[in-house]
Amino acid sequence: MKAMHHRQSIWLPVIFLLAAATALILMPAAAGARNIKVGIIDCYSGPAAVYGNDALNGFKLALKDINRKGVLGKKIEFTTRDTKFKVDLALSMARELVMREDVDVLVGTINSGAAMAVSESIAKRQKVPFIVWISKSERITGEKGHRYVFSTGENTAMAGKAGGLALSHKPYKRYWIAGDDYEYGHAIANAAWRNLSTARPSVVKIGESWWKPGEPDLIPYITSILTADPDAVIFCTGGRSMTNIMKAIKATGMAEKMPIWIHTATDHAVLKPLGAEAPEGVMGTMDYHFYYPDISANRNFVNKFMKEYGNPPGFPAFHGYITAYYIAEAFRKAGEVDKERFIDALEGLKINSPAGPIEMRACDHQVILPMYLGETEYSPEHKVVISSDIVTLRGSEVMPSCSDIIEARGQ
Amino acid sequence: MEWSETYTAAALGSHLLVGLSRAMILFIVTSGLSFVLGVLRVPNVAHGSLYMIGAFAAFSIVNVLGGGAPAFWAALLLAPLIVAAVSLVAERALFCHLYEREHLMLLLFTFALMLILGDLVKMVWGADYRSIMAPEFLRGSVPVFGSPFPKYNLFLLVVGPVVAVGLWLFSSRTRIGKIARAAAVDREMVGAVGINVSWVFAFAFVLGCFLAGLGGALVAPTVSVTLGMDHDIIIEAFLIVTIGGLGNMWGAMVGSLIFGVTQSFGVLFWPQFAIVFPYVAVVIVLTLRPKGLLKSVW
Repeated sequence: MKAMHHRQSIWLPVIFLLAAATALILMPAAAGARNIKVGIIDCYSGPAAVYGNDALNGFKLALKDINRKGVLGKKIEFTTRDTKFKVDLALSMARELVMREDVDVLVGTINSGAAMAVSESIAKRQKVPFIVWISKSERITGEKGHRYVFSTGENTAMAGKAGGLALSHKPYKRYWIAGDDYEYGHAIANAAWRNLSTARPSVVKIGESWWKPGEPDLIPYITSILTADPDAVIFCTGGRSMTNIMKAIKATGMAEKMPIWIHTATDHAVLKPLGAEAPEGVMGTMDYHFYYPDISANRNFVNKFMKEYGNPPGFPAFHGYITAYYIAEAFRKAGEVDKERFIDALEGLKINSPAGPIEMRACDHQVILPMYLGETEYSPEHKVVISSDIVTLRGSEVMPSCSDIIEARGQ
Repeated sequence: MEWSETYTAAALGSHLLVGLSRAMILFIVTSGLSFVLGVLRVPNVAHGSLYMIGAFAAFSIVNVLGGGAPAFWAALLLAPLIVAAVSLVAERALFCHLYEREHLMLLLFTFALMLILGDLVKMVWGADYRSIMAPEFLRGSVPVFGSPFPKYNLFLLVVGPVVAVGLWLFSSRTRIGKIARAAAVDREMVGAVGINVSWVFAFAFVLGCFLAGLGGALVAPTVSVTLGMDHDIIIEAFLIVTIGGLGNMWGAMVGSLIFGVTQSFGVLFWPQFAIVFPYVAVVIVLTLRPKGLLKSVW
C-alpha cells in the first residue's frame, strides 16, 4: 500500500509538468489566432462613474456591429479596470493590462492626471498605443503628446478657443472669469482668455474667482460678481460643479442680468437632472448632442443607443463609439495586428461618425471635431432645456494649428 | 476697481447674509456630529455619508410623490427619519459593541463604514447626478441690499435658528436631553444612578444622525445630489466641531458661523484665493485656543 502511494506522488507532478510543457509548445499557435484585445482603464466608481459608464456603453454598442463583420478575421474583445479616479491605480492597472493581458491597445480615462501618467510611463515607454477618450486636458495631445498617444475627445484648448472666438464677436468689454480651482478650470480659462483677447484686444479682465471643485455653495461668488457688474462672465466648471453653478445662476437670476458662457452648459447630462431648474439664456459649447446635428447617421446611432440602454447617448458615449470604429478601421487599414502599423494607419485616418465625417489629425493625434455653440432654452419637444440656435464651429477653426503644437512640444 | 465701489455696505451686507445661510446648513450637520462626539465620544467619520443619504432619500421621496411643495415638505421630514432608521440599525448592530474601544479604532471603524455606505448609495441610487427642486415659492430670488438673494437661502436662515432653539430646548428641558448631557460629562455616573446608558447612547446617536439627514435634505435643492457629497462635508464638519469645542452644541453654531462668514467675505475681498479663508480662520482659532472657542466636553 505504502509503495503505491509513493508511485502516485511521483507520477502526478510528472503528468502536470508534461501538460504544462504541451501547453507551452501549443501557445504560440493559439496566440496567432487570438482576438484583438483592448484594455480599458476608466473610472467606474464615485461621481465620475457616470461618464466612464456612458463611454463604455458607446464603445460596446459599436463593437456589436464591428464584431458581426469582424476585423482581419478576428473579433475585438475588451477588458475593463476601475481606476477609482486615482492616478496610481490607473498606472498599475495599465501596466497589468500591458504586461499580463498583453493588450493591443489601451483606452481611457476621465481623469486627465491619470491619462497623462499612463501616456508618459506606459504608452510611451512600452510602445503601446493609448487612446484617450474623455479627459479634456489639452496637454495630452499638446505639449505632452507623442507617437503612442491619441485623443478621440475634445480638449480644453478646443473648448476655450471655441468660447473665446464666439465671445470675440460680441460687444462685451469687461469680463469676469470664475471656476473650479484645478487643472481643467484653469486650462479652459486660459485658452478662452488667450483667444478672446487676441481676437479682440480691447477686452479687459476685471476680476477672477476660484473655488474648490464641487463647492456646494456658490451664491457668495455670484453675489460678488453681480456686485462687480462685468459686461460678461466666463465660468470654467466641470463635473459636479456644473449642476451647482447652474442652480446658483437660476436661483439668483444671473443669466437675465449678464451674458454667461460655460463650456458644457448645454450638455444634456447637466441639463436633464435640473429639469425646470435649468437656467435659460446661458451660452454653452459641446462637441456632441444627441439631437444635433440632425443627420441620419446621428439619428441611427441615437436610436440604437436608446434601444440598448433606454436613454440617449451623452458626449462620452459618442467618444466611446468613435473610438471603437477608429480601432477597427485602423487595424483593417494596417492589415495585421501590429502596434506600430496600427499607429501609422490611425494617423490621418478618416471615418464616418454620427456627427459626420471626422479625421484623426496626423500631426498631433487629436481627432478633429466640430464644436456646437448654443444657448440654453426650454424645448417643449424634449420637455427639458436644450441647446438652441446652434452655431457649428468647424474643427479646423477651434483647434490649435499644427505649428502651435510643434512649438508647444518644443521640437 | 475702487475700494469704496466694491466694498459698499450693501455688498458687505449681502455677503454676510449669504455666509450666514451657508452657516445654517453647516450648523445643522455639525451639531449632530458634535452631539455624537460629546455623548458617545465617537468621532463618526460616516456622519457625512448619512448627510449624503439624507440628500438622496429626499430626492427619491420628491420623485415618488411627484414633486411640488407637499412632496418637498414630506422629504424634509421623511428623509431624516430614513437616515435615523439606518443609523438605529447601525448603532444596535455595530456601534453599541464598540463604545469602549479607543478613539483610533473608532475612527478606523467609522471610516470603513463611510466607504461601505458610499458603495451602498451607489448601488441603490447609481452614480448619476441627481437634482431636486425647491417648492415654487422658494425658487428665484428677492433683492436684498441691491443684490439678488435666493429665497431658499432666506428659508435656510429661518430653519437654522429653529433647529438650534429646538435642540437647546430638547437638551435643557427634556428628561432624556438632560440625561444625554449628563452622559456627555460623566457617563459612569449616569450608569451608576441606574439609567440604562445603552439606550441613552442609541437615542443620542440616532438624533445626531437625524440632524445629518436633515442637513442633507435641506441642501439637496441647492446642489447636485451625488456621490462625493460625504467627503465634501465631513472635513469641514470636523474642523467646525474642533474650533467650536468638541461636543459643544453652541460651539458648533459659533464654528459654523465663523466658517460660513469667512468663506463668504473671502470671496468678496480676495476672490482668487477665497478657498483658504475659512481654513486660515481655523488655524488662527486653534493657535489662540487649541481646545476650541467654547468649552469642550472631552
